Amino acid sequence: MIIKRESIAVSFKQLKLTTILQHVLLILMGVIAIFPLYWMIISSFKNEAEIFTASFFPKDPTFTNYIYAFSEIPIAKMMLNSFIVAILLTVFQLGTSILSAYALVRWKFKGSFFIYSIISLSWLIPIQVIMIPNYVLINQMGLNEKLLGIIIPLSVSTFAILALYQGFKAFPTALIEAAILEGESDFGLLTKIILPNLRSTIASLGVLLFISGWNEYLWPMLITTNMENAPIQIGLRSFVNSDTNLWGSLMAATTISSLPILIIYFILRRHIIDSFVKFGMK
Amino acid sequence: MSKIIETKINPTLSNNIESVKKKRKKVNVKPYVYLLPAVILLGIWMYRPLLTTFQLAFYQWSLVPGTTPVPVGWENFLRLFANKDFGISIYNTIFYTIGLLPFSIVIPILLAVATHNMKGRMKNVYRALFFIPLILAPVSVGAIWRWLFHPSNGLVNITLLDLGIIDQNIAFFSDPIFAKWLILFITGWKMIGFSTIMFSSALTGINRDYYEAVSLDGASRFQTFKDITLPLLSPMIMFMITMSILFSSQWTFAYIDILTSGGPFGTSTNIYYEMYKHGFTNLDVGLSSAAAILFFIVFSLITLGLNQMTKKFAFNDN
Repeated sequence: MIIKRESIAVSFKQLKLTTILQHVLLILMGVIAIFPLYWMIISSFKNEAEIFTASFFPKDPTFTNYIYAFSEIPIAKMMLNSFIVAILLTVFQLGTSILSAYALVRWKFKGSFFIYSIISLSWLIPIQVIMIPNYVLINQMGLNEKLLGIIIPLSVSTFAILALYQGFKAFPTALIEAAILEGESDFGLLTKIILPNLRSTIASLGVLLFISGWNEYLWPMLITTNMENAPIQIGLRSFVNSDTNLWGSLMAATTISSLPILIIYFILRRHIIDSFVKFGMK
Repeated sequence: MSKIIETKINPTLSNNIESVKKKRKKVNVKPYVYLLPAVILLGIWMYRPLLTTFQLAFYQWSLVPGTTPVPVGWENFLRLFANKDFGISIYNTIFYTIGLLPFSIVIPILLAVATHNMKGRMKNVYRALFFIPLILAPVSVGAIWRWLFHPSNGLVNITLLDLGIIDQNIAFFSDPIFAKWLILFITGWKMIGFSTIMFSSALTGINRDYYEAVSLDGASRFQTFKDITLPLLSPMIMFMITMSILFSSQWTFAYIDILTSGGPFGTSTNIYYEMYKHGFTNLDVGLSSAAAILFFIVFSLITLGLNQMTKKFAFNDN
């Protein structure tokens, strides 16, 4: 480390230049990354005359776009639908993955390799390959246009199972053995020993599942056609496709639909990035 | 632990085989109970439909309730190969898959290396910025870019006109070449943050001793990058290549749908979008299923091959 510092000092001038260049490039990349978000927000506050100009800050900020967006599509109802879908998906996906990851780590049993393979290979099946049979089944069950029809087929997440499997595997066996000696039941072991100790892992996984549930779009689009029954993404999609050319209102609706995700991100930024590092993403 | 207890208990019960069997059964049934919800759900919503799609590939059906699928043998596959958009969609699938590699591998590695040795807050600020596109919903992202590239009033057209680079508005998403490249760029733009974070975490895992050893030798930054960083990143590079190839067609799907609907004249479509279009727009379940099965097999084989390559080529620092 000391040697490295010296060699840095030798080429100080050169390094300074490359460092500046590096920062310039990184800042440029950063601007490209967030500029569309910035443009979305300021467009939503521009008035009718200004929306078609390239001004980088609204001169006369207005809420008309928001008011119009709320009158044009049932935003409040669709936001509520999105919350229900995202929260229930998170709960179900966490539940199914906690139980199965626990079983795979806790016991050696016949067929465990087979079941593990079935679970991890399901990652290879894209939704476009299975959407038609699932669509037919949901229709037969009478669940089309229902939030449950969106939720049930997505209520197990391969990604969540594999992520928790890694987390459970790293759990210290000494703690488990101690609990077994004390006569803890298998379920008690899970709920009283493992889960409390892994709560930050599970919380960040939960946040990721909530975000991906909120952003879900192809499957909800097939199940719900009526806006009143649909999550916000579906409403936003048909608003975009309606060719109204009311881009101020469109950007207002887009801003509202992104707000929950952005708020969560700004509060839990470090957590979310860390958990992506830990789990990867589907 | 349970195993130890079991072997301790077993000898004392060994004269009563029946009870041993009972005991074992009791112990063994538990994991299956815990796994039941996930396995049943995967069975009903993943593997059952996969098999049904296999079956439907050999039937003609319009998805209309009350009608029954009619068996047609291999006809769907023949129609698929004769379909004019099928060739384009395969070509575009390859175009998007290869085109995404710079966004999922090259740029992220450079960004990860550039931010890795940075001290203090800037490192986290940069990473937090690169990450934002990833958490936004595909629909929102599509809407925003559609507005930025709007044919008459979008910022890009206004700016290009003002700068005198063009003298007429460009309808970007109605232009066969622009449409494809923009879909690629937007998908890539959204994925950069994810790969950057993955490579950053891989860099954190690299033992610092290597760097000190080569800095003693007076190696240049580029040499260090080439001789140390790249080989040690190779497992992660292989993993990200696999992910990128496997999922890029699903990532582009949303932007094809929202920005161009596959157009103009099918020039920006990909294979997954064709499945969707055949199934839910043209109500031709057989054709959609045939394409689905064909590409499910192709992608599985590619994944298998990449998996083998990872085992062979990735350098592991143990």
